[in-house]
Order: sequence, then structure tokens, then C-alpha cells
Amino acid sequence: MTGSTKTTTTRKTRLILTGVPASPGFAMGCVQVLVNQEFSVSQECILPERVPKELSLFQKAIRQSIRDLESAKQNIQKRVSKEDARILDTQMMMLQDPMLVDPVVDLVRREHYNARWAFHDRMKLLIGQFEQSPEVLWRERSADLSDLYNRMMNLLVESGPVMSQEGASVETGAILIGHTLNPSHLVKLRQGQATAFATDTGGRTSHVSILARALKIPAVAGLADISVKAEAGDFMIVDGSNGIVIINPQDSDIRKYKAKIEAFRRQEQELLTTRRLDPQTLDGKYIKLMANIELPMEADDVEAMGATGIGLYRSEFLFIQKGNPSCEEQIEAYRYIIHRMNPLTATIRTLDAGGDKIIPELSATDEANPFMGWRSIRVCLDKEDIFKNQLRAILQAGEGSTNLRIMFPMISSVQEIQRAKTILAGVAKALTDQGVQIPHYEVGIMVEVPAAVIMVDELAREVDFFSIGTNDLIQFTLAVDRSNERIASMFQPHHPAVLRMIHHVVQAAHHEGITVSVCGEMVTEPLSTLLLVGLGIDELSMTPWNIMECKKFIRSITYEEARETVHEVMSLPNTEEINRYLKKKYLQKISDLGISSFIVTADFNKNDRALIKVKDHIVNLDVLQ
Amino acid sequence: MILRSLTVINKTGIHARPAMAIVEIASRAASSVTLICGGNRANAKSILNLMTLVITPGTQVQFEIDGSDEDEVFQKLEKLFHDRFNEDHYDP
Repeated sequence: MTGSTKTTTTRKTRLILTGVPASPGFAMGCVQVLVNQEFSVSQECILPERVPKELSLFQKAIRQSIRDLESAKQNIQKRVSKEDARILDTQMMMLQDPMLVDPVVDLVRREHYNARWAFHDRMKLLIGQFEQSPEVLWRERSADLSDLYNRMMNLLVESGPVMSQEGASVETGAILIGHTLNPSHLVKLRQGQATAFATDTGGRTSHVSILARALKIPAVAGLADISVKAEAGDFMIVDGSNGIVIINPQDSDIRKYKAKIEAFRRQEQELLTTRRLDPQTLDGKYIKLMANIELPMEADDVEAMGATGIGLYRSEFLFIQKGNPSCEEQIEAYRYIIHRMNPLTATIRTLDAGGDKIIPELSATDEANPFMGWRSIRVCLDKEDIFKNQLRAILQAGEGSTNLRIMFPMISSVQEIQRAKTILAGVAKALTDQGVQIPHYEVGIMVEVPAAVIMVDELAREVDFFSIGTNDLIQFTLAVDRSNERIASMFQPHHPAVLRMIHHVVQAAHHEGITVSVCGEMVTEPLSTLLLVGLGIDELSMTPWNIMECKKFIRSITYEEARETVHEVMSLPNTEEINRYLKKKYLQKISDLGISSFIVTADFNKNDRALIKVKDHIVNLDVLQ
Repeated sequence: MILRSLTVINKTGIHARPAMAIVEIASRAASSVTLICGGNRANAKSILNLMTLVITPGTQVQFEIDGSDEDEVFQKLEKLFHDRFNEDHYDP
């Protein structure tokens, strides 16, 4: 039993919305709405054997809330007044009120709803009652209930449906929609809880999109008003490859997308067979392909997906999940990755918080311009304790390994890397003094700020490797906020200025004899791959799932030709001409390779589509209607 | 079982704080305590239930109290109502 799928007898209107293709793949299922732009609630039922667990989660959440409220009350009493603290007594009393608690327990025990949904349902009713009260004093109290709602929903994260294996087929799972979706929502999702996402905001390189791709969940972002247009229980198709969402599709849509889902799987299978082949161009240039991961457990799969190492482990997701993780928790996570990969490269990037990756305990939330704010290495150099703690954990986790690379993000000056290195050396010395065997490791930096590109000669003398973070480098070079949908078309990876920057970095690095990798999302577009290979990049690091298709593409080109193409392209004055040239030269090849379902439709105009002779319906780039 | 009437004479009616004061008395009682207002009944041990009745100033309510300490409980409630829920110095 997997719960209540709403069925409606009234015919609903079919509606097609287009947005940004954020994560490839196709899915269909029933809509679940992210309530309050914060919490995902699912009306799914739970298995009967989970009832006691849900009830105890609920009781635990109440007890924890009471404790939290009690300590908040002490605080207010001390700092404000006893009278003001009384408001929290009211909240504590409400939280233990039989009128609230009993129906929730009943819904879980008798109807087998998950506690999170039962609490949400009950509170919605009560808040509604208070909000509609004719008396203002009563209406105002709905805020207390909303407070409690938020408090409890935060604590009830572990509650929720655990779908049975057979019941939760990919085609009929839940599709989450909402205004925004944060990485923390996704991190907390369990396997099978959602089969697709569709959101009003966000772009292709928002972290939530990157994470959706890592989790292989199709997603469409930047839909503007899907959260208003779709409602819970609507049937919906999400086409993450082309950025299309169909609410209440007709039978022919469903048939068409069933075929697409089928073909997508076939293609995935086919790509899997190439995983043992070397990522080498036809004329023998080896490009090391590595994986970007967010969760330690992802290290299990990267080899199977054809990677020969981890080029980027985003350690901030551990902080997003755990708040401020202890040294032990960090050691455990890092050790898992390093030793799972050994002797293959394991690159751990130090905490890169801020920007759009807010860690509540740590990040500033009041910045007008967070991407240029107090983020990344700046936070680490200010909060040396946290930084040292992390470096200590990384070095300890690496004991006995030979594959560790430590990477500092967002370096914008020589002093910054020197300071980071000094702190790292201090931590290493302290550990050695304690008798810890420090492993051999390499130190590198992310080159993602234009200042670092300008200073790249000096920086190259400080480190063992560079990794170009194209997402930020493009955003800063072109002054285009990558999460702003209005200027999404100005975020151009093939802008001549961007290509020249990369060229400059490669030249300087190779002059010093160090390697350069690229770890931005641009890596996964075949045409960008071609340019990066031609520019002389040594390593590419990407979402694991994209490695196979990238390898397939690299194996179909020659280094010589890629270099010539770059030479041609570098003489062109603007992005439009560069893209036109690339498409003319390579679109047919990409189409023939059968990997074009991964190409974002937005990259092509109507004429380009006509150029492609499709050999399979999955590579049909025609947008519906 | 006793059934007695009381009039709400404070300025603001039985909103959150007065309701909390009633619950504090009722929940310590061995008796069951029910507040009746305009034909609606509320469990006086439930703040949410009391508040959903939206009892405004000047309203007459009844208490139905049933149990070993019913008289004692009513005396406490009577005093609470009479003292305007100890809150008229408070201006919401």
C-alpha cells in the first residue's frame, strides 16, 4: 500500500509550461506541493509497521519543542520581561493540547498517515479557524500556531512515507512542486520519495539543480508560476531534458512520454557499456574524467559510472545536513570518500558556504549581494576554528592514503592561498606532534574569480593543481547573476571573454607544470567539452551521471581537430557566432552519437533543430506544439 | 456535578492569556471541567478549545464541573473571573 492517490472525475485543463531544463530525464506522477515554501508535506500513507515509529517521532518532536521553548523563555525572562515570556507558556500549552495532539495521533494510528502530514493537516485547520476569527486578538494568535507549525515541521523531518519497493514505480511517484527548493530539502529526501521537481525559481546551475542531477531526479526550474498553476493531486509530466512541464496531460502526451522514459533508460544502459573504455581522443590524448559529489555515499558509484577519481567533493553539504558537524563526523565522511577511492584521486574542497548555500548556523543571511559576500574561503579565514577543525579532520581521515587532494575555493589573491596554506601547515604540524601519520597530499585552488585569473602566474607557483569553477567564473566575468532568470540568456559559457580566461589559466598552469581541471556545469555540454579539450584542459570533473556520455564524445574527436576548432573560435567576436560555428560543425556528430537527449534545447534555435536528422525518437528535439 | 454561571468582565475577553489561566486551574483539577457558551461546549483543559469559542467581554458563560473537587475548582474560577484574569493592568 502506498497511500492515497487522488483521483478526480472532473476533467482538468491541460496546461504546458516551459522553464529551464535543470536535470535531464522524464517523469510522470501526482503533484505534491511544498507548503510554506519551506516544507514538503506528502499525504502518502505509511506502512502499518511504521506506525509506532511515527508516533514516537511525533512525541519526541513535541518534547524537543517544549525544551526549546522553555530555554527560549528563560532567555526572554532574563533579557526582556516575565510578562513577555508568558507568550511562550501559551505556545507550550497549545502544543500539548488534546485538541491538537489527539487528532494527530488518531490520524497516524487509524488512518496510517505519516505524522508530518497529520500534524500539517491538523494545524492548517486550526490556523485557518484562528485566522478567520472576527476578533483581532484571536486572529493574532494564529501567529503562535504558525510558529509552532514551523518549529514542529523542522523537527519532524524524519517522518514521512516510506514507500514499499514494488509500490513506488518511477512512473507513478510523486512530483514535488514549489516556489523555491533549497539544497537542504533535497538532502533530506529519502530514496524514492520524489521522482521529479518543478519550481518557480532557480536556474540550471543553482545548487539545487546540480544536486537533482546528481540524484538523477528530473527537474525543471524557472517556471515562474507553477506553484500557483498546479495543485496537489494533479497529474503531471516533467521533461527535465527539455524544460517542459505538462499539467493534466492528454492520453497522447502520456503515450509519447512513456516511450521517452523507455528510450531514456535504454540509452542509459548503452552508455554504461562504455564505462571501461579510456577517455581518450582518437589521436591518443587522455583526458582524466572525474566526478563531482555532494554526499559521501555517492563515492560508491563513481567508478561504476566511468570516473577515475573525485574531482570535487562539496564538503558544505555535510554542514548543511548536520549544522556544524563535529570533527569525528567530518573524519567519518572524509575517510569514507578517501579510502573508497584510494588510489584514485579524491579531491576534498574545503567549506564553500554562503552565496546560495546558506548554512543557518554559519552563514550571513542579510547580505544584499550574497554571491559577492561573506562566503567560501572568506568565511573559513574569518572563522579559523571551523577551518582548522575541517583541515584536521581531512588530514586525519587521509591517514594511510595516497590520493588526497585538498582544494581551497574562491581564492582571489596570493595572500589568501598563502594564509590558507600556513593554517594547513600548522594543523599538519600539530597532528604530527601528536603522532598522527600525515598522508601525502596535494594542495590546489579553485580559479573562479577573475582576479585569480589575472594573477594566475603567481598563484601557479603556490599550488599543485588548479580547478576552474566555471559557474562562478562566468558569473563574475560577465557580471551575470546565475540565479537570475531575467538574464539567464546572458550566462554564456562560450563567451569569448570566458574562453580567453580559461586559455590564460591553462597556459600559466602548464608553464609551471601543474594540472588544470574544470569542474563547472559547462563541462557536461558536448560542445563545451570539445572547447575545453582543445584549450588543453587536463581533467574534467562533473556530475557522475554525465561521465559516460562525455567519454563517448571524447572518444569520437581528435585533439588536433579540437585545437583547430578552438583556434578558429578564438578569432570570432561574440558568443552567437561561436555557437553558430560549433553547431554547424558538430551538431550532426552529436546527434549521431545518440547523446543529444542530454543537450539542452535552449541551446538550439528552430533552424538548428531542422538540421538534426533524428535516428531515434528520444533525440527528437521538437518542443511540444 | 455542579453547573454555575460567571460573567466575563475583563476588557479583552477570553483570549490566549485568560484561556491559559483557566486551563491552569482546570488541568490541575480531579474533576472534569466544561465551559458552555451560547450552546457550545469546550473542554476547559484545552486552551485551543476554549479559544475557538471566541468569548468576548460581557459574555455570560457556564461551567459544568463534575468530580470530587468541583466546589473548590469553581471557587478558583470565580476568583479568576472576578480578578479580571489578573490582566487588566496589561494593555494588549
